[in-house]
Amino acid sequence: MPAPVPFDPQEIVDAKYEERPTREGVTTKRLICAACDIACSVVGEVQKGRVTKVRSSDNPIFKDNICMKGIVAPKGLAHPNRILHPLKRVGERGSGKFEQVTWEEAMSDIGSRLKKVIAEHGPEAWAVATSQWNTSTDHGLGRRVMNHVGSPNWISGVALCAGNTAAVNRFTYGWFPFGDFSNTNCIVLMGHNPRRHSWTPLYNSIRSAQARGAKLIVMDPRRSSSAERADIWLPLKAGSDAAMMFGWLKVIIDEELYDKEFVDNWTLGFEELKERVNEYPLDRVAELTGCDPEMIAEAARVYATSGPSIIPWTPITDMQRNSTSGIRLQTILRSICGYVDVPGGELLQGFNPDIVNESTIEMHHVLSDEQKMKQLGSKDHPAFTYRGQLAFREPTKRVYGQEYANLVTGCHMATPSETFRAMAGEGEYPVKAFFFLGNNPLMSYANMPLIHKAMMNQDLIVSHEQFMTPSAQLADYILPADSWLERPWIHDMFGWMSTIRFSEKAMDPPGECKSTFEFWKQVAGALDMPEVVPWDTIEDFYDYRVAATGKSFADLISDTEVYFKKPAFKTYEKTGFATPSGKVELKSSLLEELGFDPLPYFREDPPHDENFPLKMFTGVREDPFFQTGHRHIPEMRARCPEPQIYLNEKTAKAAGVSEGDWVTVENQLGSIKALLAIKDAMPDDLVRVPHGWWKPEMEQGNGSLSGAWDYSDAQLCRDDPDYLDLEQGIPHLKGIPCRVVPFRSDASVEADVKAQHMEPAE
Amino acid sequence: MSDAQKSIRKKERSTRLAIWMAARSSRNRTFLDRMCRKMIVKATAVDPAKDFMRDEFVDNDQGFDPDELDRYQRGEKVIASQ
Repeated sequence: MPAPVPFDPQEIVDAKYEERPTREGVTTKRLICAACDIACSVVGEVQKGRVTKVRSSDNPIFKDNICMKGIVAPKGLAHPNRILHPLKRVGERGSGKFEQVTWEEAMSDIGSRLKKVIAEHGPEAWAVATSQWNTSTDHGLGRRVMNHVGSPNWISGVALCAGNTAAVNRFTYGWFPFGDFSNTNCIVLMGHNPRRHSWTPLYNSIRSAQARGAKLIVMDPRRSSSAERADIWLPLKAGSDAAMMFGWLKVIIDEELYDKEFVDNWTLGFEELKERVNEYPLDRVAELTGCDPEMIAEAARVYATSGPSIIPWTPITDMQRNSTSGIRLQTILRSICGYVDVPGGELLQGFNPDIVNESTIEMHHVLSDEQKMKQLGSKDHPAFTYRGQLAFREPTKRVYGQEYANLVTGCHMATPSETFRAMAGEGEYPVKAFFFLGNNPLMSYANMPLIHKAMMNQDLIVSHEQFMTPSAQLADYILPADSWLERPWIHDMFGWMSTIRFSEKAMDPPGECKSTFEFWKQVAGALDMPEVVPWDTIEDFYDYRVAATGKSFADLISDTEVYFKKPAFKTYEKTGFATPSGKVELKSSLLEELGFDPLPYFREDPPHDENFPLKMFTGVREDPFFQTGHRHIPEMRARCPEPQIYLNEKTAKAAGVSEGDWVTVENQLGSIKALLAIKDAMPDDLVRVPHGWWKPEMEQGNGSLSGAWDYSDAQLCRDDPDYLDLEQGIPHLKGIPCRVVPFRSDASVEADVKAQHMEPAE
Repeated sequence: MSDAQKSIRKKERSTRLAIWMAARSSRNRTFLDRMCRKMIVKATAVDPAKDFMRDEFVDNDQGFDPDELDRYQRGEKVIASQ
């Protein structure tokens, strides 16, 4: 997610300000860090043509937004194992054997083989996985090329992290709001735990807000660092967030703490919502969440009465069986309390009119409706697919001036699990070519055994990468990717916010590394459609994007690193909301049309399986790493050398394991091994599993995949129907049944574990 | 207009002013730009001692030597930050 711009206008007095001194032989460049997905504005210091230091920005609105991953980037990206030249697979797929080729040779063969797949199976047989967070200069060009080719099958990690939230928010009020941390009076963190080194600007914003008196409410099963500094901490059961919000609504509606004028004038479905909420009296909510009913009520009152309050985006509700209902309940709380599009509340910023946005670049209109309806996942789980989002075309045009708003790139996606099934030959049609960019798909989605089978069943796999990830090891071609130090960037907050930021090129890319812009330009050329990406250079492309400002990209970036849209509030009073009714739809007409419950609900856990008595959650970030990256950097590994699970003392004792033991975490799908750390902040029977572990130093190729078969949490993440959200088809990662047992190192056990990896339990 | 509406209007005005100042501050060229920057520094200052997750990795403000980075990239020597 992008960084908010922190600023409190109430405290402007008597400033003292000192510029950093310049150093001889050192030039500075204003950069946007892409070490993770939050995009901090930072400064790169350059010596002898190299970035030698990354530090926090001189601009006070971005100051202190720096973490260890950004600081260590000059070394991490200079790692001797960085891929510097195109590589072509020479052995069997997964053998780990590659030879160096030229970009021209690679692209010529890729173009021929992709055209063959399309000719034999149709354009929908080509799927692409990327995030656009860390590839950065994609800017929608991948979707643009795919749309011209005719493939709707674009998947991304944003399907379970922010992108899906954006799509589901639209069902209520037509856009994805961003919380105004600078002016809010109350912040609600739902399982989210921003820290000094993870979501750093949010950490700083929350710290600033608390310093000026804002309240902090934290819902989290763990006693997280955020929980420790909260005014109210609700230690709810993992995965019960939606139930908790029903409890809040029960209190807010019963005690008439909502904004009656807003509800009367701007919402639809309040009476039906009220009936649904009445199904969740506090004693039932207390049972479902494990929290004290009076604490639940108190938190609800603080949220509703000390506002404007914000419920910032959280990845936690993105990854649950009740994800759609959970996200909708957040939108409903924001709405009925009158916090939508007011300062200190949840801002619906719209696009910046002076920049060509990425939704426009993607050119979704050129993809036929017939191809759109083939998007994998559309039939059963349509919420964020074209089928679920196309009805927003007219209202989005009415309010925001264009038909397609691919907010956070999450509003026109295929469903990952359905795509991998199709790739594995188990879907409604075959997918036989797979590209992934800045993405490690084998470990980034649920059901790694299925993904492995899917990748082994491909005719063509192309990776655009910086390092030899486990996924790249299965590719036919690995094309070397540049980094955020090595090219310019325009960051448009993925359409989420209207603020635009700019990043300079600080050094030349090493070897033959190229940007994602150049990758897609070459793919378009290889498919005989060079006109689809007509700009010669990325600077030309950026000049096109910023033309409406009246300046070139070079002029803009020399002038400032941030470009604001004039702020506006309550714009719905003129345009209505971008929903079919023009109102806030507490009862969603579109979900009803798609055949789903138009009101939020809570699906309880499947029956308890005594063989797997514990619950695990995964998806958590560890400070030195972003997702599956950074484990090659010595300074980062020194901080966290091995994957660790967390249990409390009581649960560990019951499982027969102790601090520092190697243990196995296993469930019906697979198993991983990890070190055990005892944490008294963990509740009983809950296991914290780290996300994205592999070891770059381990053997490459199918046998080990650099440790992915040993450590990757994706082997435990189920995607069978009980563990999928109904509307979106995304997996439940917050409360998966499992057990923890001592790790047995004898070869026979390891062989059994490997066999399970290759043959998933369904 | 109710008190709540008045409060919202006041916040809207101050937020517009804040964004204008942030834009000037980011440009940081003219006297007015620099004044805005100084005021924003003051407005957004949070005592570092109150950062309960301080970390020497950030506080030390370290970088790397360009020649050592070159050697590291060639696989010749493992380096530490300077």
